[in-house]
Parts: sequence; C-alpha cells; structure tokens
Amino acid sequence: MNDLYAVWLVARKDLLQESRSKAVTVATLFFSAVTLVVIAFAIGQDTRLLREAAMGALWVALAFASVISAAQSYQADLEDGAFDALLTTPVPRPAVYLGKLLANWAFMVVLGLVMLPVTIVLYGAEAGPHWPWLIPTIALGTLGFALIAVLYAGLTANLRARESLLPVLMFPVVVPILLAAVRASGALVGIGDLELATGWLLLLAGFDLVYVVLCTAIYHFVVEE
Amino acid sequence: MPTDPHADPAPPPVTTPAIALRGVQRRYGRHLVLRGLDLEVAPGRVVALHGSNGAGKTTLLRLLATRLRPSAGEALVYGHDVIREGHLARGRLATIAVFGGSYGTLTARENLHLATALRGAPTDALDEALGRVGLERVADHLVRTFSSGMRKRLGLARLLLARADLWLLDEPHAALDADGQALVDTLVHEARAAGTTVLMATHETERSFDLADAVLRIDDGLLSRVDAVPT
Repeated sequence: MNDLYAVWLVARKDLLQESRSKAVTVATLFFSAVTLVVIAFAIGQDTRLLREAAMGALWVALAFASVISAAQSYQADLEDGAFDALLTTPVPRPAVYLGKLLANWAFMVVLGLVMLPVTIVLYGAEAGPHWPWLIPTIALGTLGFALIAVLYAGLTANLRARESLLPVLMFPVVVPILLAAVRASGALVGIGDLELATGWLLLLAGFDLVYVVLCTAIYHFVVEE
Repeated sequence: MPTDPHADPAPPPVTTPAIALRGVQRRYGRHLVLRGLDLEVAPGRVVALHGSNGAGKTTLLRLLATRLRPSAGEALVYGHDVIREGHLARGRLATIAVFGGSYGTLTARENLHLATALRGAPTDALDEALGRVGLERVADHLVRTFSSGMRKRLGLARLLLARADLWLLDEPHAALDADGQALVDTLVHEARAAGTTVLMATHETERSFDLADAVLRIDDGLLSRVDAVPT
C-alpha cells in the first residue's frame, strides 16, 4: 500500500470523527475565545498596549488550543482499543503520525484563521497592508504547534496525569515556534514590516522542517510500549 | 494435566514456524508477567491459551502483535522479529481485541474500510463480510450505538477481510450470544482449513478442546501443555 494513501486514511479518519463529535471544535473555540478575552481584560484599557499585545495573545490562545486538539484526537483513538487495532496493521508508524498531524494541523489552521479577525477586532489592532502574509504565518506557526502536540499527546495518551503533563512537556519545546510566530505576525500588523516578517517566517519554516523530520523519526518509540 | 512445559504443541515444523518464542520475558515495572516462554507453533495450527485473569495471556498476544516489546528473549512471527521487523510481522497477522477495536464515531462500513485499506487488502468485499457476521442491516450505523456483542462481530468481520496468515484472538467468544459464539467456532474451523494459524486466549475451556489442536495454559508466567479438560 502507498504510504501517502495511509497518511490520508488516518487523517480522513480523524477529521471524520471530529466532524461528527465536534468535541475539539467546541472545546478549542470556547477556550481560545475565553483566553483572548481574559488577556484583554488583564491588559486593561490601554489601547496602545492592547494593539501591541494582540498577536502575542492570539498565539498563546492557539498554543493552548493545540494541546486540547491533539489530546482529544488520541482520546477518541483509545476508546475500545481502536488505536491499538490500527497499530497492528502493517502501516509504517511515520504514516500514522503524519496522518494525525495532517488532521490536527488542518483543524488548527482553520481555528487560527477564525481567531485572527476576532483578535484584531477585540484588541483594536490594524490588519495593515501586508495582512495576506498572516495566512502563511498562521499555517507555519500552527504546523509547529501540531508537530509537537501530536507527538507528546501520543506519549502521554495512556497516562493518568496526561492533562497536566502534556502542556508541561510541550511548551518548553514550542518556545522557538511561539517566539517566531509572534514576531512574524507582530511585524505584519499595523504599518507592517514585510522584510522583518519574512526573516521570522523563514526561521519558523526552518523550525518546522527540523521538527517534522525529528518527530516523524521518533514516533515509533512513542507508540511502542 | 500439565506435561512438559516447553513442549511444542505442533508436530516438528518443516517450514518456518508461524510463532516462535525463545526465552521471552515481559516485565511491568518490577512485576515479571512472562518468565521466559519457549514455544513453536507450526503454520495452520489452532492453539488455545488458557489461564486465570492476569496470568499474561493478553500480554503474550500483544507482544506477538508487536504492541509490546519483550523485556528479554525473542519473539518471531513467520520468521520476522516482532521488534526489528515489526512491520513485516504485522503484514502476516490480524488481531481481535476483547472490546472489538473499532471507532465509535465511524460507521461499521467506515471502520471496515479503514482497517482493510490500511492493510492494503481489497475493499470490495466489505458487504459480504458484514453479512457474514450479521451486521448488514446496521452497516451504516455509528459503532457507538452498537452493543458489545455487535462490536465483537465487527471485529470478526475485520478479521475476515484482513486475509492474514496468523490470527491472534483475545477472548473471541466473550460478549457474543450463542449464534455469535458458534460463528467464531465456524470461522476458526474455516481458518484452519485455509491454513491460517490461530492463537486464541480464551476462558471457554471445553469449547477450546473441540476447536484447538493444542491447549496451553499460562500460569505464573510460564507455559504448560494441557491434554484434557480439567475435571
């Protein structure tokens, strides 16, 4: 069987499950919205500070949402030993990882694109002339989050303390992604500095590339017991 | 009545054994569940595995299914080491878990399509398999609406479609009604006739003596052969 077809089958399975349960959609939408509102309240009425913090708040909300999304996708897998059954098929482990990654990433991109205008309005930021570049920024940033979240969610899926352990393990590793994504999107909003943003975007793409190779290579250790 | 604990339940193999265990141990923390198992099962044999709850039956099946690593020793499926050549071993085997191993938010047909396509097996016989296990009328229902027996039947359909050389069955009769249990027996008989090897962990003592070529018992992490229904 073609490995790419296996990737597609696993991704399709995850997306089909989510389209029916809406478990991740509801949880991440509400959680992200609440995070944005709480941070806005914490900053207060200083409009300049709100504008400056807008992209940081967006990426914090997306980082937490990626934890929920990845953890939930494994919970659905663990019911009735379905994931175990899937892992006894001859599909290579990297194909399983990439399938779950693809589904999580697709979901996170959509969430990011929904939350972006909400953030801009809520924080009084200006999209600026280079706003289309925010789309690849969302795509690359959420890819980085999904890469780490799917790996660590697989590692902690069978643990009792998974809810607390997953963010503790994940967030130190995604700091470079978070930093590059905040800087790139921060450089794009308002007046906009495309040259500065491009540098951060290239760095973001570099991190993603390193993580995709690394995570794919070690995933079989994660799912072996 | 236990005899030689290292006895081969099959005649001397003339080809690569379907299952070969050499000094296999499996430890959970400090607890040694499998204490050095040696076993060879020739292709096409049906072997039943008895033992009390927690004796290590499921551990042994999961180990052969490449889902657990042996802590020591070597486990081979048709000559393929379950660790070093896990993907090749998985290509030869199919499993059915106690709870069926299906996704609740997918329909029966979608579950079968996923499992069959992931094996690279043809997906044109899904309806036939569903009919065989009595699920044709609920083929497009979500599995989360199924009873545990229906989920088990779906697992049997997945087994049929896998076209594997080795079946690893964990309590295949559990949760099934009388018809379902008879279906399992029929499928095992058909598998033997087709040359498929079957290793099944079961508490159905009398039934397994009718079905199996050899009955093994696992106690205190060690295997022994049982020749007759204990009285």
